[in-house]
Amino acid sequence: MTKETFLHDKHVQLGAKMVDFAGWSMPVQYTSIIEEHKTVRENVGLFDVSHMGEVFISGKDSMEFLNKIVPQDIEKLNYEKAVYCQLPNKKGGLIDDLIIYKLGILEYLVICNASRIDEDLNWMVRNSKDFDVQIDNRSHEYSLLAVQGPFADKLLRKMGLTTNQESFTIKPAQISQLKVLISRTGYTGEDGYEILVENRHSEFLWDKILEEGKEFGIKPIGLGARDTLRLEAALHLYGNDLDENTTPVEAGLSWSIPKDKIADYNGKDVITQQLKNGTSKKLVGLKMLDKSIARHEYEVYKNGEKVGIITSGGPSPILGANIALAYVKNDKNICIGSTVQVMIREKLHDAEIVKRPFVEKRNKIKL
Amino acid sequence: MSITENILCSKSHEFLLDNGDNTFTIGLTDYAVEQLGDIVFLELPEVDTEFKKGETFATVESVKAASEIYMPISGKIIEINEDAVNAPEILNEDSYEKGWLVKIEATGDVAAEQSDLLEYEDYKEELE
Repeated sequence: MTKETFLHDKHVQLGAKMVDFAGWSMPVQYTSIIEEHKTVRENVGLFDVSHMGEVFISGKDSMEFLNKIVPQDIEKLNYEKAVYCQLPNKKGGLIDDLIIYKLGILEYLVICNASRIDEDLNWMVRNSKDFDVQIDNRSHEYSLLAVQGPFADKLLRKMGLTTNQESFTIKPAQISQLKVLISRTGYTGEDGYEILVENRHSEFLWDKILEEGKEFGIKPIGLGARDTLRLEAALHLYGNDLDENTTPVEAGLSWSIPKDKIADYNGKDVITQQLKNGTSKKLVGLKMLDKSIARHEYEVYKNGEKVGIITSGGPSPILGANIALAYVKNDKNICIGSTVQVMIREKLHDAEIVKRPFVEKRNKIKL
Repeated sequence: MSITENILCSKSHEFLLDNGDNTFTIGLTDYAVEQLGDIVFLELPEVDTEFKKGETFATVESVKAASEIYMPISGKIIEINEDAVNAPEILNEDSYEKGWLVKIEATGDVAAEQSDLLEYEDYKEELE
């Protein structure tokens, strides 16, 4: 059966078109994907992302355990900070990508993809046998609301938020007298927050944010615009751009992997070897040079030879062009500025390799 | 009089409008367009191309996906809607009078080929 979030009735009342996503009935759009997309870039948007998983890790060995399952250095993760992580298998291929938050001395929160929660939990439990650690999946207790866009901070301050926090931090806070956990993160490339709230309060908070946000031009935003926003920001989507046969180095995520991490972790030999010697494929950004649209699994060619495959593609409402992410052969002649071709309905269409992200990110707020 | 009184609709959501001189206008129903959402790209065939009933003759792309469009009856393309190619969003405004796709000259047995097409009211009812 399709699962519903605690905000399901709200979406239906707002006239959302509901679709099945990773076993959840989710709003794909309320009015128009393009309009919703622009609202997040120009004003502020509200997303229900309660389908995502929340796993709490605690116990004496919680840090050592997490350090074993991600390439990132959890020992260096400070209190109330967040870090973007991957969950590699023993070969370095990715089971999921995650955000890990440090909530206390021996307490962490892992936010994972809805589509991968079972695989993640299975993998975590299998890897926990030598550690004194509790793995507590509390996804069913919380709703997750994302408030994203240039007016996100102003709106939440108006609603009583008093925390002073930079990007990639999490704090307990109060919004409209509700106790929440609030993190300055998102999946849009804009500044914004993600609010973890107990299910029983989520409808109240949803309504309140939409009401208080009116003066900032707020709109509810569906998964359709969430996808176009993350694509413009060149943020990976698990299942499209990441999978168990792709390492974080191939995926262009080397920036997120510390080179000096001492602790051993799953896939470390493959990942460190690739960091040193390079990989046979690499992730690139493409901009179509005509009006055609490259989509997931379309083939990429150079000089008549197949050199890669599209993993995500679609229109960029901000650029007014069609963009894509692709894995291509790691060849020095296939680099930023070069032209390749994408096979679309049996015809080749030119595309230029461009830098990622496609639009400037505005989510690096420092205090 | 609304255009929907004169059209026939296919189960794959194309409409067929009889122009009375063995030519027909083909496009997408309002239901199809609403389901697709923002339409951002349209690929139409060249004039003079011939297609059989049921063949793919065009592609429409929404933000999320590409969808194929099928011939409701056999015919030869005699005109394409250049305005719709240049500004596919007009399909979202009105897929009948502004956002039609192609005009064809029928090449098959029209009466027989139309037998599985539905009148608009019946088509709407089938959707419910």
